[in-house]
Amino acid sequence: MSESSQDVSLDSEAQMRARAERQVADARKLTRRRLFLVGSVVLIAVGFLLYKTLSSSITYFKTVDQALAARSTLKHSTFQLEGLVQSRSISYPSATSVDFVLMGTHGNEIVINNSGEPPELFRGNIPVVLVGHFVDGQTFVSDQILVKHSNSYIAAHPARVRAPNGSVH
Amino acid sequence: MSSVTLFPMSKVDRIQRALGFVALIGLLATVGFGLVWTPPDQFMGNLVRLIYIHPPLAWVGFIAYGMNFLTSLAYLWPRTRDLRWDQLAGASAEVGVLFTGLVLVTGSIWGRPAWGTWWTWDPLLTTTALLFVLYLGYLALRRVPDDPKLRARRSAIAALIAFIDVPVVYFAVLWWKSLHQAPTVLNPLTHKTYIHGSMAWTLLLGFVAFTATYAWMLMIRYRLGADEQQARVADVVLALHERQEEGR
Repeated sequence: MSESSQDVSLDSEAQMRARAERQVADARKLTRRRLFLVGSVVLIAVGFLLYKTLSSSITYFKTVDQALAARSTLKHSTFQLEGLVQSRSISYPSATSVDFVLMGTHGNEIVINNSGEPPELFRGNIPVVLVGHFVDGQTFVSDQILVKHSNSYIAAHPARVRAPNGSVH
Repeated sequence: MSSVTLFPMSKVDRIQRALGFVALIGLLATVGFGLVWTPPDQFMGNLVRLIYIHPPLAWVGFIAYGMNFLTSLAYLWPRTRDLRWDQLAGASAEVGVLFTGLVLVTGSIWGRPAWGTWWTWDPLLTTTALLFVLYLGYLALRRVPDDPKLRARRSAIAALIAFIDVPVVYFAVLWWKSLHQAPTVLNPLTHKTYIHGSMAWTLLLGFVAFTATYAWMLMIRYRLGADEQQARVADVVLALHERQEEGR
């Protein structure tokens, strides 16, 4: 091999090496950028959900007893109130509103004026969570009723049997 | 092939087919019993039928993240470090994210008529959404191209961090006041089960069917990952060969 062709070959080898190094550096830069992007999106989403966990979820509701005890500090602020619906107290002043009494333990009670249609499963003697605020010492105005369920599942008609001809008794 | 996958392929084929069969029969039986054979609930009526799939989906999510945690630990442990653990961890997280997504959707479908809302910032719902986002982030992290060993190490560390939320989700209804009901079976506070005969058996069937479905999906995803890796290696070998040919 002549001297000039050896020089050309060394030059192209050096160029290839430089190009490979540049490609590696670019790839690293792209990886860092992607990691930063993924990290930022995940951190924002996780941060938001952690904020909701700490601000709304840990104290998701106040019981009737807790709300009455904290009445002076709660004033007219909106919060979630939990208690048992007194069966005989339910009345419907209009098609889209319902009034009832919410019971706590130790005989504590709060009168509820709810505007908006109650959920399908709303009835007496069940626990509910209400979203609203106090208007005076004993009355709570809400615009959302959430029905709280127990973890028991009981068949609707446990004694019902099906006869061989398909009829149900 | 055996150098890329954890098990010999012929055995995997048989196990995969058996699991697929069990999963299919189990799911069909769960749907049949859940919709036809079991009675409506005294309070919820026919809404109760969603419990035959919603808790099993959540359970499978926990199993998937548990598997992801253990295989990530196996990768990080120097004595057991192997890229196959990383592959299994990624496959399990993918299936887990799918099931957690379904938990959120089915919960929302049940919540609208049962609670009166599609969504609320209840502790269990919020921490479950957090779990979903954490593992989506984990999967996104896995998609960032890098040196396989570096990427596996980074992913394994992220998996250990994300797993912190799993016990938080499980205990959320017990630690904090919640709209969501406490567990009906395996309640760690009462150790009692509050569900009527045929409903309980159908729920149990749902757990078995969805667990088999998870195992089946995990195997398919893991094998697909192994095939992808083999194809990548083959591409690199081919490219090197072509370069060598050009150099001659």
